[in-house]
Amino acid sequence: MQHWKQYGGLTALFAAFLAAGYWGFTSTGGALPWAKRSAKALQRGTKEGGGSLVDFGRGIVVAGPIRKGGMMVEFGAIAAFLAVLGFGLYIYVDRYGGLKNDEQPS
Amino acid sequence: MAHIHLGEGSFPLWALILWTLIGTGLIGAIVYRIRKGGIKTHQIALAGIGAAASFAIFQLNIPVWGGIHMNLTGLVGILAGPLLGSLIALVVNIFSAALGHGAVGLLGANTLVNASEAIVAYYAFKTLLEMDWDVFPASASAATLGLSAGAVLMGAIIVVSGVNGSALPRGDLTIAVAGLVGLNLGVAVIEGLLTGFIVQFLASVRPDLVGLADRDSNKEPTGVTT
Repeated sequence: MQHWKQYGGLTALFAAFLAAGYWGFTSTGGALPWAKRSAKALQRGTKEGGGSLVDFGRGIVVAGPIRKGGMMVEFGAIAAFLAVLGFGLYIYVDRYGGLKNDEQPS
Repeated sequence: MAHIHLGEGSFPLWALILWTLIGTGLIGAIVYRIRKGGIKTHQIALAGIGAAASFAIFQLNIPVWGGIHMNLTGLVGILAGPLLGSLIALVVNIFSAALGHGAVGLLGANTLVNASEAIVAYYAFKTLLEMDWDVFPASASAATLGLSAGAVLMGAIIVVSGVNGSALPRGDLTIAVAGLVGLNLGVAVIEGLLTGFIVQFLASVRPDLVGLADRDSNKEPTGVTT
């Protein structure tokens, strides 16, 4: 398929969804998929206005229940364990050509 | 991306039972199909990596659109397939709920939402490749479409269930939920772009991982090889 059709379709999809996203952001008063304000929007309805679209000063934060609950170490350990397990399996399969047929999970 | 963050007790009991039963049915059917058809070994490794990436990024709140988190379920669906992708969605939701991110009672609903993202992304990716799309636009579009499907399903689940304690009549609740779904569509673009870049990179170094070994067999790898 011609490139302009592919990227034109992708651009149209992105444009439509970004417009929907901006409408959602403003109509819910800057409510978020993951925030107290989204619960507020569901409890009290939509409102006009909203917070800033981008707030880099706030930085990237780990989910509140983890951060406030003092579980940052556990979170890091679980993420690291899963990552190591995944990469370990990847290397094992890549190096040894995978599990033998009789070891393959049924 | 789409993930119901309402607390415990937000949904009426009948809704909890309904979504849990449907979610259990979906996972049961998937486990049955996996047991019957087996899994390719490279998919197991990809599932591990996908689960790790999805769980980790689930917990990171990014300061765009007021504060969002990504799921990478579109990427997981494209890499691990719809069956393992759905199981990864279940595992990531269980881990997250155990940490207090998402209600335990909403595990069924949230698994349905995230599994739908992986399933739709996988089939959209395959369909676009069959239409001879390049890897980047195909994967970015597929992930965006998958995530939008999850967002719409999330909205439908909330509207159908109703929210305990909400003063809104069902019509106003629908409008409020529509706003949240709209937000998720905007975020889907960001995650779709990210997914597109990742899949394009993987396709350049290991085309077999994304099911492109046959398609690119006559081409030299353009990136780092392992």
